Amino acid sequence: MSTVLVATEQPARRTAPVGASRSRRLLFLIGRHAVLVALALMFALPFLFMLLQSVMPITQAKTTALWPDRFEWGNYREVFDRVPLATYFLNTLKVCVLATIGTVVSCVPVAYAFSHVRWRGRTAVFVLVLATMMLPYQVLFVSQYQIFTELGWINSILPLTVPAFFADAFSIFLLRQFFLTLPTEVMDAARIDGASELGVLARVVVPLAKPGIMAVAIFQFLFSWSDFFGPNLYLDSDDSLTLAVGLVRLNTALVKTGESNLTMAAAVLFVLPILAVFFFAQKVFIEGVTLTGTKG
Amino acid sequence: MTSARRAARRRADRRRRLTVLALLSPWLIGFCVFVLYPIMNSLYWSFTVKRYGKPARWVGLGNYRLLLENDELLLALKNTAYLALIGLPIRLFIALLVATLLARPRRGNGAYRLLFYVPSLVPAVASGALFFFLLRQGGPVAGLLDLFGIEAPLWFRDPAWTKPALIMLGTWAIGDTMLVFMAGLVDIPRSLYEAVELDGAGRWARFRYVTLPMISPVTFFTLLTGLIGVLQAFDAAYVFSQGVRPGRLTGEPDGSLLTYAMLQLRYFSDGRIGFASAMAWVMFVLTLVITLVMMATRRRWVHTTTDGAA
Repeated sequence: MSTVLVATEQPARRTAPVGASRSRRLLFLIGRHAVLVALALMFALPFLFMLLQSVMPITQAKTTALWPDRFEWGNYREVFDRVPLATYFLNTLKVCVLATIGTVVSCVPVAYAFSHVRWRGRTAVFVLVLATMMLPYQVLFVSQYQIFTELGWINSILPLTVPAFFADAFSIFLLRQFFLTLPTEVMDAARIDGASELGVLARVVVPLAKPGIMAVAIFQFLFSWSDFFGPNLYLDSDDSLTLAVGLVRLNTALVKTGESNLTMAAAVLFVLPILAVFFFAQKVFIEGVTLTGTKG
Repeated sequence: MTSARRAARRRADRRRRLTVLALLSPWLIGFCVFVLYPIMNSLYWSFTVKRYGKPARWVGLGNYRLLLENDELLLALKNTAYLALIGLPIRLFIALLVATLLARPRRGNGAYRLLFYVPSLVPAVASGALFFFLLRQGGPVAGLLDLFGIEAPLWFRDPAWTKPALIMLGTWAIGDTMLVFMAGLVDIPRSLYEAVELDGAGRWARFRYVTLPMISPVTFFTLLTGLIGVLQAFDAAYVFSQGVRPGRLTGEPDGSLLTYAMLQLRYFSDGRIGFASAMAWVMFVLTLVITLVMMATRRRWVHTTTDGAA
């Protein structure tokens, strides 16, 4: 749990200042802790209230109570009775797995071409890739929707997975950043030994860049898991929904009945897998965030 | 002899070009089919009256002229400006504050970092539902404020309080920004601090004259991506307003939660494809303008080290 989030290299602790400044130093330490504890409370309380509410009996959930009288674990089963949560879960998993495979398979060769293969116009084309990262989805989906409608893909996971097989700018960028940290000598040696570019990619780059590829895979998985706008656009029939869309619909429906305990139970079930993935791959994940400056 | 060698070289060049093309092909195809074609299509549609299944009718700048007269669009832009001018500085300030306090390895910092980072993993629709529950009438926040004898505002009924609720949610999820700041802080050479300490600089002076200039490339980057993000804001505002009045994309109460993306989606859902395309293009141009303006003024407030940083 206490894994350090960012790898740091620090010289030895500075020598303590002398004399009068010692009391000021103490004051700063106390101030620092006060700020940290106050902020930490504010960041932790939403999680705590989410968990508490998710196990509150319905009679209590509608009141201002903060602590449940008894822990109603049945809420979690109740959510499955109200909405086809297992179906949503399966749909989401399908989208995530397929989109992740697509992203990795398509972006690895592209990122390789942008990092370790020399060709004329490479920089210019790469700038074009970077520029597409800025494109708002809005200028794309209006026309994409028509394409997917004509293909008969509405209410299926295809609009959410097929484009992933054609390399997105963010993943190309992230992978390229990783690839650039690899030693070129090893690749040149393989080339001198007669390896083709594909051979170098498969036998040298991919094994060396496993952490980078993992990071891209995790980002795509979490993006697909969390995405609401796309699924909300393309999915409508109840058995086709992903968890994100299902959760919003459940929340909207339950606001009226006041059963926020069930909404929170569903939210916990939706968020838990994300936290599991994060803790499982924390180091790789953080490296990716700091390398690109954003999660995208 | 030479011609044979030249032919061989030409063959090798051709092979090489084919290899590069093959490696790039996923992106090339994706770019043409899922980016270039849709962009051009929506540009064309933005000058037409268009409904799916019907041919487009050219109206020139008609949609854009309607945009200028659209009161709701103005409202959406005002809401965006609110989130950008008030929300973004708060988020950056808290992120930098936390990063500054936690950048250096101290006992217990690992746990703190984890705690401040994890909320940013929560998808906006989930944190939207969570904050809707936390802030609702008779919810936990109202209960807590009541303990101190403070009457909680009606977060989702009073249009003046819906955006502060959005900003609170956004501030809860600053983990990514915090991490990027932390990485920037760790990269500042120790010698710089030692140099100003010799000049007798205090804690504030060190922060003001070393830390702030040295992380300005990071600040620039987070500000730029933050602005672009605000322009596309949708998820949390959608969840909030659906809780207030389900089934409509009007950003209830009183349009206080209407974002640009929400309004555009509404015109799209109503089948007014030409108008929705025009709105999308205006958004695209706004993104470009923001980026170019920031790039152009970059030198004035971003400190550049010799290696060009960021």
